Amino acid sequence: MASFGRYIRVVLGAWAFLLIVLMSMPSSAQQVNPTASSVKEQQLLQELNRIQGRVSIPDQRSGVLEQPAGRDWREFRNVTLRWIGGIAIIGMLAVLVIFYLSRGMVRLESGRSGRSIVRFTPFERFVHWMTATCFIILAVSGLNITFGRPLLLPLIGFEAFSEWSQWAKYAHNYLSFPFTIGVVLIFLIWIAGNIPNKLDIDWLKRGGGMIGHDHPPAYRFNAGQKAIYWIVVVGGGAVAVTGYQLMFPFYLSGIEGMQIAQIVHSVVSVLFVAAMLAHIYIGTIGMEGAFEAMGSGTVDVNWAKEHHSLWLEEQNARTGPNEARSQPAATPAE
Amino acid sequence: MARMKFLCDADRCIECNACVTACKNEHEVPWGINRRRVVTINDGKPGERSISMACMHCTDAPCAAVCPVNCFYTTADSVVLHSKDLCIGCGYCFYACPFGAPQYPKVGNFGSRGKMDKCTYCAGGPEADGSKEEYEKYGANRLAEGKLPLCAEMCSTKSLLAGDGEIIAQIYKERVTKRGYGSGAWGWKTAYRETIES
Amino acid sequence: MLIKRTERSSGLASRASVADALSGQAGGLDRRTFLRRSGLAGGGLAALSALSIGSVRKAEAAVAGPLTSGATIRKNVCTHCAVGCTVTAEVLNGVWIGQEPSWESPINRGSHCAKGASVRELVHSERRLRYPMKLVDGQWTRVSWDTAVNEIGDKLLQVREKSGSDSVYWLGSAKMTNEGSYLFRKLGAFWGTNNTDHQARICHSTTVTGVANTWGYGAMTNSINDMRNAKTMIFIGSNAAEAHPVGMQHMLESKEINKANFIVFDPRLTRTAAHATEYVRIRPGTDIPVLYGMMWHILKNGWEDKDFINRRVYGFDDLRKEVEKWDPEETERVTGIPGAQLERVAKLFATVKPATIIWCMGQTQHTVGTANVRASCIALLMTGNVGKPGTGANILRGHDNVQGATDVGLDIVTLPFYYGLTEGAWKHWSRVWEVDYDYLLSRFDDKKLMETPGIPLTRWFDAAILPKADVAQKDNVKAVFVQGHASNSITRIPESLKGLKALELLVIADPHPTTWASLAVEAGRKDGVYILPVATQFECKGSRVASNRSMQWGDQIVKPIFESKDDLEVMYLVAKKLGFADKMFKNIKVENNLPEAEDILREINRGSWSTGYCGQSPERIKAHMKNQHKFDLVTMRAPKDDPEVGGDYYGLPWPCWGSPEVRHPGTPLLYNNNLAVMDGGGTFRPRFGLEREEKLPDGTTRKVSLLADGSYSKDSEIKDGYPEFTLAVLKKLGWDKDLTEAEMATITKVNSANPDAVSWSLDLSGGIQRVALMHGCVPYGNGKARMNAFGLPDPIPVHREPIYTPRVDLVAKYPTLPDAKQFRLPNIGFSVQKAAVEKGIAKQFPLILSSGRLVEYEGGGEETRTNPWLAELQQDMFIEISSADAADRGIKDGGWVWVSGAENNSRAKMKALVTDRVGKGVAWMPFHFGGWFGGVDLRKNYPAGTDPIVLGESANTITSYGYDPATGMQEPKVTLCQIAAA
Repeated sequence: MASFGRYIRVVLGAWAFLLIVLMSMPSSAQQVNPTASSVKEQQLLQELNRIQGRVSIPDQRSGVLEQPAGRDWREFRNVTLRWIGGIAIIGMLAVLVIFYLSRGMVRLESGRSGRSIVRFTPFERFVHWMTATCFIILAVSGLNITFGRPLLLPLIGFEAFSEWSQWAKYAHNYLSFPFTIGVVLIFLIWIAGNIPNKLDIDWLKRGGGMIGHDHPPAYRFNAGQKAIYWIVVVGGGAVAVTGYQLMFPFYLSGIEGMQIAQIVHSVVSVLFVAAMLAHIYIGTIGMEGAFEAMGSGTVDVNWAKEHHSLWLEEQNARTGPNEARSQPAATPAE
Repeated sequence: MARMKFLCDADRCIECNACVTACKNEHEVPWGINRRRVVTINDGKPGERSISMACMHCTDAPCAAVCPVNCFYTTADSVVLHSKDLCIGCGYCFYACPFGAPQYPKVGNFGSRGKMDKCTYCAGGPEADGSKEEYEKYGANRLAEGKLPLCAEMCSTKSLLAGDGEIIAQIYKERVTKRGYGSGAWGWKTAYRETIES
Repeated sequence: MLIKRTERSSGLASRASVADALSGQAGGLDRRTFLRRSGLAGGGLAALSALSIGSVRKAEAAVAGPLTSGATIRKNVCTHCAVGCTVTAEVLNGVWIGQEPSWESPINRGSHCAKGASVRELVHSERRLRYPMKLVDGQWTRVSWDTAVNEIGDKLLQVREKSGSDSVYWLGSAKMTNEGSYLFRKLGAFWGTNNTDHQARICHSTTVTGVANTWGYGAMTNSINDMRNAKTMIFIGSNAAEAHPVGMQHMLESKEINKANFIVFDPRLTRTAAHATEYVRIRPGTDIPVLYGMMWHILKNGWEDKDFINRRVYGFDDLRKEVEKWDPEETERVTGIPGAQLERVAKLFATVKPATIIWCMGQTQHTVGTANVRASCIALLMTGNVGKPGTGANILRGHDNVQGATDVGLDIVTLPFYYGLTEGAWKHWSRVWEVDYDYLLSRFDDKKLMETPGIPLTRWFDAAILPKADVAQKDNVKAVFVQGHASNSITRIPESLKGLKALELLVIADPHPTTWASLAVEAGRKDGVYILPVATQFECKGSRVASNRSMQWGDQIVKPIFESKDDLEVMYLVAKKLGFADKMFKNIKVENNLPEAEDILREINRGSWSTGYCGQSPERIKAHMKNQHKFDLVTMRAPKDDPEVGGDYYGLPWPCWGSPEVRHPGTPLLYNNNLAVMDGGGTFRPRFGLEREEKLPDGTTRKVSLLADGSYSKDSEIKDGYPEFTLAVLKKLGWDKDLTEAEMATITKVNSANPDAVSWSLDLSGGIQRVALMHGCVPYGNGKARMNAFGLPDPIPVHREPIYTPRVDLVAKYPTLPDAKQFRLPNIGFSVQKAAVEKGIAKQFPLILSSGRLVEYEGGGEETRTNPWLAELQQDMFIEISSADAADRGIKDGGWVWVSGAENNSRAKMKALVTDRVGKGVAWMPFHFGGWFGGVDLRKNYPAGTDPIVLGESANTITSYGYDPATGMQEPKVTLCQIAAA
């Protein structure tokens, strides 16, 4: 990240400048002419790209006199981020639309067996939906900060937009807590099934079976789901940490750290949103029988056989195949 | 059109903080909010200089550019103001500001930000000039009365200059020519993309 | 991006621009048109240019906003330092709603410092005292004014009965107006004591004594504005940037416009030093060696002004002998300054003229304070840098009216206007006050005490706790009536606590409870303490004298709020209770218990001939405030043709000779013989006899004249030195015929036995002064300034190591003066110094501790620490320590430390500020903090709701023994301490 490089430059520059000052000081410390040796703005800016001093008020962060880096951050926020976000989100939507149009819903090849098997416990589903709900609100309110001004404000006007944005900000700040809890729980309850293994390479090589009618074997979570898991854990963790850094200004870092935090937060967020669009797609209209896993918590045995053959074997080995409940197939949600 | 600017002549500034308390006095700025502050570089060392800093009312102001709700506006005098009715207290202007000007009252829990507050160049806000509402939200509107910002007017050593950019630049240039030294028009390059050659 | 609000469709208040908004208002004037017309936004910008040094125009509001419309403008004077900034207040419906820049004032030209820009809050403060209180069983209890005054009066009379009139200590204030301070001194006189003191004791008492003993008057000779003429400015013991920020405006402009040398001698690289062209770091307490070291180079190179010395200076040969001891080696050994640097500075000072020396408490607050300032005066005399524009002793005073309060005699050694305490002086004032001398005499315990200087405020607690036999008056001090003075500005706080405990009565009359209250409770007092709420000076009217001797009139901005009362009213109520109000206010109008300030000033005019407060009638001073804009920035003079203030210097800087009708313009530069006396010229004052017998080496003696030699002020009819004017002198000159009959009658009335002896300072008619002026002569005479001030403890200044010095090796050669009895008390400095050396205190406490000002606070600081706008800027007491010393002790910047002092096992907890602003071996503390003691927060000791926002340890908890023998000045600038991480 360019900002980190800048930070290194600042530190090195500070030392270099100190050396220059020390060396240029007359040999006798008694003989100084403060007017002649007064610090110059341009010199400081060239050396450090940031000017910092002492203030008498306790708020030492206000000792930063000038940080032209704000200009770089502005460029990122107003230009770079919009490009990244735009490409990631619109690009992902485009890919999904194209995929749906070309491939349609992935059907259960062997049809429904009429027998179902428990895939997610109520607690797991609660955690998922809590996190998911928060995520959607966070995503919308977050995207509003970046894209609302050019897209929504002209449509609804200043007052309405500010009003909405104010509530969106509150929602964003407060829902971050359940979201973070959700991410932590997701990490804990599903970590066992999400350790990458050799099978995942095979699964990935075979494209997850999305192309053609292949069904690479998988345990409880296939490589695609593992990827989503890790995106949620790592991405969620990253947005949480950086988000709190922004929400609690100056507790963790100075202004430069907050700029970096905002950059990380926003870039990870838009990529996160893009990834989640794919996740939502596959969980709903992308694949027959997938939604019920999080909907009712049970899946059709045939679905399990096709997508998670090894998991089904595991389950059967543990409980016996006959214990799988016989139920009418649930209708997948659209 | 006048292009209002601030200029702090660091070779005159003695960190007396008159600008800070004049601002507090004129606008009844609450404890913890510092629309203006004085920063001392090389404190206690040879070459020490102090600079009074507030919102510089930048050309193409970064705060205005990054504001998610577009609550900033620039007056015909190039003073950068904002609407507290529109501000959502997101803190983005603070990240963008090269001078640390935006201030946020702490409201509610965990230090969440209230409506941003900053130097108004003693020019109030969107409400009617000199109205009670304007005073309560933004402080006094001296500019509307034909007066310049009080911080600069009360500066103990005439270090802090406020007024039309060309005129104060001229004053500073004359000073530097006359006395033969100058540590620069602090912040001008960043705020206005220009420096004062002398 | 939006440019204008009107582009928005949202229907918010339309606001295209300020100009548009204005043009819509009735009677509105386009603001920019206005700015153009009034010359760059009024005075604001015109005052900024380095080149424009003309008078400044006022920024008048083109259109007052609705909020301030109808507001009236009232002018007063800032109540902080002595620069004398005009405060312009906007008042609406009796409420002070805003401050505007005071462009018209030639002193501050619109400017303020942090304190001046926030004075409005002092009046509105929610933490001010609201009503009188007394301590009952350790609890602060509300009482009425009547009850308070009655109980206080009864107790005072009881103490008087038992212990005599001198057992009540009357501690007044430099914060009062001239009228207030004068009345307070008069109150002391009518009560019957000389124990009446104020802040000047701890501020510039040594200046007053040292400088007056050199050339006549103990005041700043020139003015801050006049420093615009200087080519070399030497700051020794002044941090103007923090102590006199608005003064720095003139100094920096002088540096810029004149390319003046700006040389700062200081132990710290101060904010002032940051702007210096040369900074010289000195060891605290070595001012005399520094100055002599410079003089050594001056004499060696022949840079002295020989002609000036011959004509106008006495005692040069005696001085030369002392200077010769300070060769560069010895100077460097004692001060630490390299010889080459000192030679360079000496050359600039002596050859780049005009040159001036600026000092404040860095020089004065020492056991050798009087000698320090004398050495500075001598340096000026040696180079002929006195009595001309751009030269002189620019002694910056610290309180808004400390010059005036000193002049009006709120002092232990003199009656008003330096008449002294002799019988003649008392008789003069009894004539002015129109009371019998015998009545005044009857008020005292005895005639001897009436004519003996009182106890300095620095030692009030010694007077309360020392054995009765050691206090040379009838009894110890039993009661203290303090009106406007901090207790934490006085050194040795641990011992003052014993004094607070020992008192029978303590009365605190102040807008704030001050550390007197919190420390009295800490000392264990349960009763016998009263607090009276007194108004700030913004709620009173009256005159005050700035550092440059200019008098300014302050209007009452708002009426006293809550139950607070004007200083004058408090004094009247007390005098009435004590039973002498009718005599004391004989010629002063009193309405609703409030004496009229103008009448008091007129009484001052009638009695102040010696110092020239006689021409400053309230009418003239008020006219100056009204016509401020007419005075020139540099000369401070108004055009001669002006009908109201024509030819006057701003504020009629004293001496303003003769009665107001004489229309003397005031004296902007003392001793300036290039001007006629009626244009503000003057000569050195022959105050110490006309000639002096000197012993010659061969044992014989010779008489040397102390009158000027061939030097006289412009247009003087006497072209040589002359003595002070008396009727006899007038007769000798044949000028007595110029006296009117009425004047002769008054002179005869003053001394019917021997009218010839009536002098210019005793003649209540002003006739002698008028006639002297008529002939171009200075009423006080024309003498020589004294390099040898015989009569002082050290007639030629001598270096003496501080009582507590780290350089124990130098004590044997440069010891402090022997123990002696001074000001009714023993001064055992020599014994303390000797014991410190013997006990090895310097090893135990290796760091020099000095103290000084912060720009945000003033004095003891309770008032300013109560002001949130200021308090926010300095929230913690701190000590500056060098990075080397901090590293040795494991002290981190911003960390808590314990500072321990050399006496009383004193210790104090504060934050460390690690900075190389101070040199190795030196630590520095601001002296404005209070409300902590020995690491304990005393907030609970204040009456509820009146505690200052910021509290902290007082520097004076650590400071130690040491008193100037000539004035009783304390020693807060050099002591020893040790610092450890807490």
